[in-house]
Amino acid sequence: MEFDWNQQQRDFRSTVRAFIAANLPDNWEAVAHGPGSSAQTTFSKTFCGALADAGLLVPHWPERWGGRDADPWSAFILAEEMWAAGEPRGGQYMNVNWIGPTFMRFGTEQQQERFIPPMARGETLWCQGFSEPESGSDLASLRTRAEKTESGYCVNGQKIWTSYAGHADTCFLLCRTAPGKGGISILLIPMDTKGITVRQIPSIIGEGDIHEVFFDDVEVPDTALLGEEGQAWEIVRTALSLERVGIPRFALASRMLHRAVGVLKKEGRFARSAIEQSAKAHAACEVARMYSYNIIDQRCHGQPPGPEASAARIATVNAERQVAEFVVEHLPDALAGGDAMLMAHHQRAIVAGIASGAAEIQLNLIATELLQLPREPR
Amino acid sequence: MDFTLNEDQLALASAIERIATEFATVPTDFHGFTLDGAALEQELESGQYFDIAAIPEMGPVAAATVVERLARLPCTTEVALSMLVRPQIDIELPRPFALVENGRPGRFVASAATVIVIYGESIGIAHPSPDEVEAVESLYAYPMGKLTGSPAIKPLSSSDAETVRTWLRIACAAEMAGLLQAAIDAAVEHLSVRKQFGRPLGTFQALRHRMAECAVLAGGVRLLALKAAWSGDSGEAALAALHAQDSATRVVYDVHQMMGAMGMTLEMPVHLWTYRAKALLAELGGKGAQAEGVAKHTFNAA
Ligand SMILES: Cc1cc2nc3c(=O)[nH]c(=O)nc-3n(C[C@H](O)[C@H](O)[C@H](O)COP(=O)(O)OP(=O)(O)OC[C@H]3O[C@@H](n4cnc5c(N)ncnc54)[C@H](O)[C@@H]3O)c2cc1C
Repeated sequence: MEFDWNQQQRDFRSTVRAFIAANLPDNWEAVAHGPGSSAQTTFSKTFCGALADAGLLVPHWPERWGGRDADPWSAFILAEEMWAAGEPRGGQYMNVNWIGPTFMRFGTEQQQERFIPPMARGETLWCQGFSEPESGSDLASLRTRAEKTESGYCVNGQKIWTSYAGHADTCFLLCRTAPGKGGISILLIPMDTKGITVRQIPSIIGEGDIHEVFFDDVEVPDTALLGEEGQAWEIVRTALSLERVGIPRFALASRMLHRAVGVLKKEGRFARSAIEQSAKAHAACEVARMYSYNIIDQRCHGQPPGPEASAARIATVNAERQVAEFVVEHLPDALAGGDAMLMAHHQRAIVAGIASGAAEIQLNLIATELLQLPREPR
Repeated sequence: MDFTLNEDQLALASAIERIATEFATVPTDFHGFTLDGAALEQELESGQYFDIAAIPEMGPVAAATVVERLARLPCTTEVALSMLVRPQIDIELPRPFALVENGRPGRFVASAATVIVIYGESIGIAHPSPDEVEAVESLYAYPMGKLTGSPAIKPLSSSDAETVRTWLRIACAAEMAGLLQAAIDAAVEHLSVRKQFGRPLGTFQALRHRMAECAVLAGGVRLLALKAAWSGDSGEAALAALHAQDSATRVVYDVHQMMGAMGMTLEMPVHLWTYRAKALLAELGGKGAQAEGVAKHTFNAA
């Protein structure tokens, strides 16, 4: 066992930090309202391009695709620093974490050539069309259907909660080609295809994040299909296991906790109950950090993803929750114009237990797969 | 002991229920963070409801039931301090009321005619002019504002300050009881109609138990708030406020978690209650300060 970073990892983190410090604009805190906002998306295009030029966008990808075969730690250290800085990569973090790697594994050569290089250059934004109005936690019940045509598919249906849809170039769409779990397929569809309509959903978490996407007789060619017809469930399981620990939310939560405590100390408000609660919140952040590191370590040792990823996710939800609650209770004025970054964090922390799969579903997975408890009757 | 309302209180309850029904729905085109209750306020003014605590047959406990009921409405207007705190200071003081703690932003401050100013251990009363206050953008579902000028502050004697602190706590608990109940009602409705895996979400025990616990907490907040309003006892007030603020943290989390992504939208207005509860749960020093109040008044702690 070894709980310290090696020199190379330390150097890498300093490089990333230095890059962030040199490349974020002075007004960044006012811009950083979450990866989906217009300002942040626009900025992410420049930022990701510069990251790519510096060799920091996809270090963990194979050389063939613009990376340098770095181990999963590099990707995670990178993700920690980015998320803690308010995610200047915007929605492009998804490309780096799971969309690119999924294409490397399941894409045709033509799809790889078409989609991967723009990701590696930091030029393109994707959205994830999974959830539907009637299919949230029960994703397998989705109804958006793709009917076979002579040269491809015709898509009809509706997606909802789609992050970044307003700015995305392409959609990673789950749709039904046959009944049942084995009847779900993936289509890769440019968002400017005729028949696609996007509507932003006004929300409490800030501008630009969640959308409805309507598909009305959207015609796509056969080459839009990723993998085989009906292979979506298998592909998405792999993809989501990468995504589940893909966002180091604890890193921003921890930074915001320190920031809030800093204000309280400076103003002489760091009283007994605040001390106790901040310490607990700090523990929650560190637990999440250790659980997440454990998953990355498993990845480095070539172990397949297991239910521990769900445990890491729950620990992260808990960290977000405790920090958000600490700030509301002890520095409430921060959320009334006091601090733009704390406000943005608070606004978004609430989604930790919902976006990319609700916490309760993860708890069920932990009970079934980790504890081996008998399943609830259906 | 008698938990039933007397005849006058019953009449009041049904009058308030009539008003509440008028304001029960959110306009379909509303997508905001705060739903302004100016029309409700006008109706309460014209019916002289803000003064009911001073009517002997009613008393503060009746006022507390009104505060609780009106907090369950999606729209918000300054009710609690006017109905519960103002009569304890001077019922002739102009409303709306607001509270400013150590110079920080507070609810309704930008429109307040009377501001209770807490600075350290002292409490005073101020009447800022419109150019001495300013609205503040916030994440709370109340109109928030702050004092920008320095209006004259009339300090309260320490015994008056103690009374005001007590009634601020009662007002907080009574309002919180309504907010939590309304948030729970919204979640219960959602869990009853929303289906996943072929069954209503409300059939999953993992959710049923948590919601049931939330309901017990909210009911407890209401009971402690009413008892404190009846007695005016400072220990009971601290206890009610403690239970209110402590329960709110949990209820707000569980309600949002169970609403799923739907709870993030401004179209499904559960935030009108939860993001009000968030503002209330930090007031008066938060639950740490209430716990100290309980320890002092109930357990004679130093
Ligand atoms: C900010 C944000 C961004 C998002 N971005 C995207 C995106 O880009 N693309 C996309 O496809 N989706 C996206 N989503 C949707 C997200 O994946 C869903 O919200 C999530 O899967 C939960 O579904 P739901 O919201 O419909 O909740 P529901 O499934 O309706 O669940 C509501 C509640 O019921 C609980 N529940 C459900 N089933 C069970 C059960 N069997 N046992 C116990 N409890 C249960 C849940 O845990 C939750 O507490 C996003 C969501 C948010 C909030």
